[in-house]
Amino acid sequence: MRATHLLRTLRQPLAHWRLAALLALGGVVVASASCSKVASLELAVPGTEQPANFPAMVYNLAKNPPSAAAFELGKALFYDKRLSHDGTVSCGSCHQVAAAFAQPGFRFSPGVGGRPGARNAPALQNLRWRRSFMADGGVLGLELQALAPLTDAHEMSMPLADALARLNADTNYQQHFAAVYGPGKIDTPQFLRALAQFTASLTSANSRYDKYVRHEAGGEFTAQEVSGLAVFKAKCGGCHATDLFTDESFRNNGLDRTFARDSGRAHITSWPTDRGRFRVPSLRNVAATGPYMHDGRFATLAQVLAHYNHGVQPSATLDPLLRQPDGQLGITLTAQEQAGLLTFLNTLTDQAFLTDNRLGPPH
Amino acid sequence: MKKYLLLPFLLVVFGAAGVLNSCKKDADSQPTVGTVSLELANMVGTQPLALDGTAYSTASGETFTVSTLKYYISNITFAKADGSTYAAPGEYHLIDASKSASTNFTVSKVPTGDYTGVSFVVGVDSTTTKGDPLALSGDLNPANAMYWAWATGHIFLKLEGTVTSASPNKALVCHIGGYRQPYSALVTAAPSFKGSTLQVRSGTTPKIRLSADVLKIFDGPTRFTLSSFPTTMMPSAASVQVAQNYAAGMFAVAGVQAN
Ligand code: HEC
Ligand code: HEC
Repeated sequence: MRATHLLRTLRQPLAHWRLAALLALGGVVVASASCSKVASLELAVPGTEQPANFPAMVYNLAKNPPSAAAFELGKALFYDKRLSHDGTVSCGSCHQVAAAFAQPGFRFSPGVGGRPGARNAPALQNLRWRRSFMADGGVLGLELQALAPLTDAHEMSMPLADALARLNADTNYQQHFAAVYGPGKIDTPQFLRALAQFTASLTSANSRYDKYVRHEAGGEFTAQEVSGLAVFKAKCGGCHATDLFTDESFRNNGLDRTFARDSGRAHITSWPTDRGRFRVPSLRNVAATGPYMHDGRFATLAQVLAHYNHGVQPSATLDPLLRQPDGQLGITLTAQEQAGLLTFLNTLTDQAFLTDNRLGPPH
Repeated sequence: MKKYLLLPFLLVVFGAAGVLNSCKKDADSQPTVGTVSLELANMVGTQPLALDGTAYSTASGETFTVSTLKYYISNITFAKADGSTYAAPGEYHLIDASKSASTNFTVSKVPTGDYTGVSFVVGVDSTTTKGDPLALSGDLNPANAMYWAWATGHIFLKLEGTVTSASPNKALVCHIGGYRQPYSALVTAAPSFKGSTLQVRSGTTPKIRLSADVLKIFDGPTRFTLSSFPTTMMPSAASVQVAQNYAAGMFAVAGVQAN
């Protein structure tokens, strides 16, 4: 990748100057600048651009610069069932492109042996804008994230050492890894880096809503959608903030009174004040990512709205935004507001993303 | 074109020369250094630990076998009588009772002098454990099965086996980790040299022989009976008590040798 970049640079005027300066300084500034250059040049890797309406990217691209070969390798790994203990489950079993990489129809996705997991499989999108992963925020990096499903007994049930042994025993993977990372054993860093090339590429930024806010062609909103957006901003935007539709905080949105089954954020922090708090999820592609909430308890968006309107349960950690001044719980939504919200939520569907062949299973 | 290359080229040359120069100066002013060897003997009371199904008993007469014992030793610090210390950077060692090579390691570049104590973290500091995953190689590699994927971080100590005095037999599962309050299990052990000195000189490799007693995992500031010993696989009040136990008494200096 770097080599091709240098070759391209060489063909440009004053290329020697740049090459020499690069060699001379070789510092962080130049290294990172050259990496973002790599990203924008490499059109073969999907989702490398910073959408104009998104907050700044969190992920350090320079640590794992996108390349077409590494992306293809990551994709092969993502869809390879041999990475599960009994060869029946791949990442792609629970994360399907047509559902923005959630799994439609399952509250709890079955892993090896059909064993259901503990939480609903979430959409995978715009992961480069995330600080932590999982509904409880327990995982601190995109690369590390893959270890959780890989090794979980309810998901792929595959010790990392065994997964690496399988990869190292496969001549196809040996060649593929060697082509990207150079010769040598396939070890944790190469494996995780390659998988993250794929997961990091899953950028969804071309819904009708995006075109509407960016004033692009195809971004026309009906009057109902416009009013739905206004209701959303006023009543939901306190948590589902920014154009990623999440402020990345952990909050209790009133699903339960007690949290014996899943304590959410407290599972990681052990603080009683975190009991029942879950990550505020993005709502991009939300029409395609049901069932909803960490345990997939709601099948439809209408049920979600009904929950906010009259289903919110009291508990010590219930978010203050869901306690009205008169003591009533939840968010009052008229029938008209709910209809507007539903049409608005549907504008968040990014059809190009859901049907992107480059992201689907390899043939 | 060539002359365009000249300026940067000169920058490189002078830059490199500058670096070399400063390195040399540093070397002149640096104290001389030596290497210290550490050796761990895993024990159950007075018996060497075997993972072959040998049953051991506790002070209260309960019996158990051990199938796995692994723990991290890191952040090794040597102390002198005057209270000054040397903290060896970048030392992370996974001791695995099933791999004899893992029970011996050396710490190099220790400034020469006479040391009267050693301390180390039993575990992996939070900065390293939640840091760049792509730097987690060697003993820190998550492939060593000493890693909690769901909560980003290493398992500091893993003890597995069977409580054979319980009927029916009970699995002994003790995975200690976690670096967040209120249940941080990051503890430091400081086994006493009992009056010996560790003489670090350039050209010799003095050795600290340590013993690590499994019984002290259950018995220290908190005394656990094996029948009530909790299955610990996540940070909890009990896992902190276990960590305090092994920090307090598991490690003892069996000897300090000059060479
Ligand atoms: C058996 C189903 C299943 C499999 C297989 C699976 N996942 Fe997941 N995935 C889930 C569930 C469920 C969650 C949510 C877990 C949680 O919040 O605790 C999740 C969460 C994630 C997340 C975090 C999303 C977020 O918003 O925080 C990423 C990234 C991810 N998975 C990628 C992968 C990769 C890569 C693989 C293959 C190595 C994989 N998954 C395999 C079910 C699965
Ligand atoms: C107090 C903060 C807060 C407010 C206000 C809020 N939400 Fe949420 N929302 C959350 C949290 C937290 C979750 C995740 C809960 C879980 O996973 O169990 C969530 C989940 C959802 C989901 C499910 C997404 C999925 O993929 O599972 C939808 C849809 C949703 N909210 C829509 C809305 C709408 C519409 C509004 C306004 C009427 C709203 N929310 C207001 C915090 C909030």
